[in-house]
Amino acid sequence: MQLQFLFAQPGRTAGRCIAALLRAATLVGAAVLIPGCGGEEEGGDDGKSVSFARQDAFPSTYSITQSRPVLIQGATLLTGTGEQLDNTDLLLEEGKVAGIGENLKAPKGALVVDGKGKWVTPGIIDVHSHLGNYPAPAIESSQDGNEMTAPNTAQVWAEHSVWTQDPQFALALAGGVTTLQILPGSANLFGGRSVTLKNVPGRRVQDMKFPGAPYGVKMACGENPKRVYGGKGTLPSTRMGNVAGYRSAWIAASNYKKKWDNYREKGGDQPDRDLQLETLAGVLNGEILVHNHCYRGEEMAVMMDIAEEFDFDISTFHHAVEAYKVADLLAENNVCAAMWADWWGFKHEAFDMTEANIAIVDQAEACAMIHSDDAVGIQHLNQEVAKAMASGQRAGFDIQPRDAVKWMTLNPARALGVDELTGSLEKGKMADVVVWSGNPFSVYSHADQVFIDGELMYDRSDRSRQPHSDFELGILNAEGERL
Amino acid sequence: MNRRIMKKSALICTLALGLAAPALQAETLLIKGGKVHTLADAGTLESADILVRDGRVESVAPTLNVSADKVIDASGKVVTPGVIAPDTQLGITEIGAAAATNDDAAVEGENTRGVQIGTAYDPLPAYNPHSTLIPFNRAGGVTRALVIPGSQHKIFAGRSFAIKLNGAMDSVVGTDLAQRVYLGEAGAHLAGGSRAVAYGQVRQALGEAREYAANREAIRRGDWRDLSLTVADLEALQPLISGREPMLVAVNRASDILQAIKLAQEFNLRLVVEGAAEGWMVADQLAEAKVPVVIDAMNNLPISFESLGARLDNAALMHKAGVTVIIRGPGWLATHDAFLSRQSAGNAVANGLPYEEGLKSISRNVAQVFGIDGGSIEPGAVADIVVWSGDPLEVTSHAEQVLIDGVPQSLVNRSTRLRDRYLKPEQGHGFGYKH
Repeated sequence: MQLQFLFAQPGRTAGRCIAALLRAATLVGAAVLIPGCGGEEEGGDDGKSVSFARQDAFPSTYSITQSRPVLIQGATLLTGTGEQLDNTDLLLEEGKVAGIGENLKAPKGALVVDGKGKWVTPGIIDVHSHLGNYPAPAIESSQDGNEMTAPNTAQVWAEHSVWTQDPQFALALAGGVTTLQILPGSANLFGGRSVTLKNVPGRRVQDMKFPGAPYGVKMACGENPKRVYGGKGTLPSTRMGNVAGYRSAWIAASNYKKKWDNYREKGGDQPDRDLQLETLAGVLNGEILVHNHCYRGEEMAVMMDIAEEFDFDISTFHHAVEAYKVADLLAENNVCAAMWADWWGFKHEAFDMTEANIAIVDQAEACAMIHSDDAVGIQHLNQEVAKAMASGQRAGFDIQPRDAVKWMTLNPARALGVDELTGSLEKGKMADVVVWSGNPFSVYSHADQVFIDGELMYDRSDRSRQPHSDFELGILNAEGERL
Repeated sequence: MNRRIMKKSALICTLALGLAAPALQAETLLIKGGKVHTLADAGTLESADILVRDGRVESVAPTLNVSADKVIDASGKVVTPGVIAPDTQLGITEIGAAAATNDDAAVEGENTRGVQIGTAYDPLPAYNPHSTLIPFNRAGGVTRALVIPGSQHKIFAGRSFAIKLNGAMDSVVGTDLAQRVYLGEAGAHLAGGSRAVAYGQVRQALGEAREYAANREAIRRGDWRDLSLTVADLEALQPLISGREPMLVAVNRASDILQAIKLAQEFNLRLVVEGAAEGWMVADQLAEAKVPVVIDAMNNLPISFESLGARLDNAALMHKAGVTVIIRGPGWLATHDAFLSRQSAGNAVANGLPYEEGLKSISRNVAQVFGIDGGSIEPGAVADIVVWSGDPLEVTSHAEQVLIDGVPQSLVNRSTRLRDRYLKPEQGHGFGYKH
C-alpha cells in the first residue's frame, strides 16, 4: 500500500514523512520528533515542509524495559513472509528479532522456550478495533466511540476516548494480539482520527501508542452516515449525498492545505488552525492514512475515484464484504481490504457475503486481511483466518498456513503503515511474537506466550505474566482479580 | 425402468439441479466407513456403516453387509448427527437492518395497539422456509433449529417453533417448545427499571396462568375477577404451566440464575437458563435442580455488570458439575451464522469441555432438552446426518454431505454462488452472465 507506493515517488512529502517517522520509531520508547512531520512549531525551522499530522501533540511514551534475551528453540515458524520453517530457532534480543535458524546459541541470561510441537507467528495485528472506546462493561457513560453529531468530525481523535483500563485489551492479548488500531465509529462520513496501539497495559493512552505509527482517519461509506443524518433531515440521506459530502470536504481541505503551503513558502499572516481540516490536509499531505468503512464494491470503486480526484491514497477498505467483486481494482489501485471471515446479513450492504472473500482478494494480488471490529472476534483472529483459508482452499486456491498468516500479520501492518517495523519474523523487526501451543489455525490451539518488543507480556501458564486492568481488581472477589 | 432406478435418477436430478431436495427419499441409503460419533449408547465407532431406511436410521455397526439404493463413501471422514441450533430466528429474519424482512419480534406502536405481543405473540405464520439463511446454515451442517422470537417490549417474548432446514414448505417440526422470558438487566429494561419489577411481573403472570388453568371456563365466560393478562396470553402460558415446554430464562448473573431456579420451583416449571455467563459460579445449584443451560461459549467479555464472571471455561466447569450444556452460535450471529455453534463448541473443548460433550452440546442435548427429533445416530433415530471433511468442531472442516430425514441436501447457497461468479473478478460485463 502506501509505503512502497510512496517510497517509489520520492517527490512526495508523504513518503519522506512516513519513512522518517518509521526510522525514528525504531528507537523504542523514544519520543518521536521528526522535523517536517509535525514535530515542530508552526513555521518551523526548515520553513518549507508542512505537517498537519501533529504527531507530537500527544506523543507516545511507550517503552518496554528489556529484561533478557529470548530463545525459542525448535518450533515451527510462520514468518509472515510466505515461509513455513520447521524445527527452527528464533532469537529475540533488545526488542528485535535477532536471529532465525538452526541451533542458535542462547545468550547469557536468556529465557529459553522449548518450541517443540509449538508454532510461532508474528504478533497478530488488528486493523479494526474499538477497544477502549467501547469498553466492557458497556454502560451508557462509556460509549465513546462515535461522535454522531455531524457528518464530518475529522477533528476528533479516537485516542482521546480510550479508556486504558478496558479489560478487553488483556483478553485480546491472550489471543495473541500485539498491535491494534482503534478507530472512531462509522456514523460519519469522516469519523475522526484513529490511533495505533501496542497492546500493553498503560496508565495513559500515550503509554500504549505505537511509536511513530502514522495516524489514520476513519471514513464511512454507505448505510450508516445516510441513516444517521438522513434521519436528522440533513445531508447525507443518500449514497449520492455521502459522495457530495466527501468531495466538499476534500475541496475545503485542499484549500486549507494550499493556504498553509503558501504561508510556509511566502510568509505573511499565519492562517487560523482548524482541527478538522488539519486532519484532512494531513491525508492530502500523505501523512495520515485513510481507513474507509465500505461494504459495497461499487462504492469502493467510487471512493478510489475520489482519491484520484483529490490526489490522496486510501490505505484500506474496512468491512469490505464485497471486496471480492472488485479485487482486481483494489490490486490495481494498491488499496487493501480488511474483511471478516463470515459475518453477514445484519444490513443490506452486508448481504452479498462469500466466505471466500479474503481468499479471492488475496489471489487477485490485492492486500487482504482479517479484521475484528469486535471484542470477542479480536481474541480469535487466528480462527477467523483459518476459516477464510479453508474457504479459499474449497474454492480451489492453493493457500497454505504460510500464506494465510499474512492476513493477520504483515498485511494489517502494511495497512497501518508499520510494515517496515513489525508484522513478520525478519531480522531487525520488532520482536512481536506469539508462541502457539500448536498450529494456530486449529480451534484447539492457544497462544501460550506473547512477546511484545521482545518482552514476555503474556504467559498462559504463569499468572504473574497475565495483565489485569484496574477494573478487574476486587470486582467479583474483593481479594482477587476478576477471574 | 424399475422403481428403484427411477428413484435413483430422480435423486440425482434433484442434486444436479442444486435444489433443496423435496420429500423424496431413497428407500435405503448406506453411509460407509466413516468415523461415527453416534452420540448414543454406541459411543464413537472408529469406522462404521450406517443404514438409513425411509428417513430413519435402521442400524449402525462396524460393518453392515447390505446393499442399498444409494451409498455414500465416508471413509476418512467424520460422521455425526446434524447440528441443531437452539436459539435462532431462522425463517423470520432476512436482513437485520431491513425492517420489512424481519418478523422476529413484535414492535409496539401505533399500528399494534391492542395486538398481542407478549406471551401470545406467535411468529409461526411469518415463517419463510425460502429464507437465504436456511441453505447457508444447512451447508454449515445445521439440520434442525429452534425458532424463538426476541422481544422489544415485554419480558415474555412469545411462542416458539422448530424447523428442519430442508427449505420445504412443511419444514416445521414442532411448536410451543419454549417461551423465552427476560430477567436480569434485559428484564429490568423491559419491565421498568428494576430486575425486581421483571421478577414480580413473571410471578404475577405465572400465578394468573395457574389460576386460569384451574378455572378456564369461568374465566372465558367472564365470570371471574379481572386478570391482568388477556385470555390469549394466559392460553399461551399453559404449555409452560403444565410442564410441556420449558421456560427459557435469559439471565447471566449468578444471583439472577438462583432467582430463576427459585421461581421455577415455586411454580413447578421446567427451566432452561439462557446466557448463564456466571453459570459456573452456581453450577452445583443448576445441576441439583436439573436445569440445562444454553450458552455462547465464546462470550468471555465482562460486557455488563451482570456478566463480570464471563469466562471461556464456563461450559467445562458447568459440565463438570453435572449441568447439561447447550451451545449456541456466537453473539448476534446466532441466526445468520447459526452453524458457528461448531466453532463455539470447539472453543469450549479447547477450554476443557470433553470432546464428546462438545458434540452433544450442539446437537443431542438440544434435541433432548427441547423435545425434538435429531441429535443421535442410533436405530430409530431420524436420519439427520452430516459427513464432515474432518473434525466438525475444527474451524477448517466443512460439511461434505448433509442428510435431512435421510435425504441428501444441496449445499449450494448464496455464499458459494457469489464465490463461483467472482473467483476471478475482471473488467467487463461477463459476470452478469455467469450463473
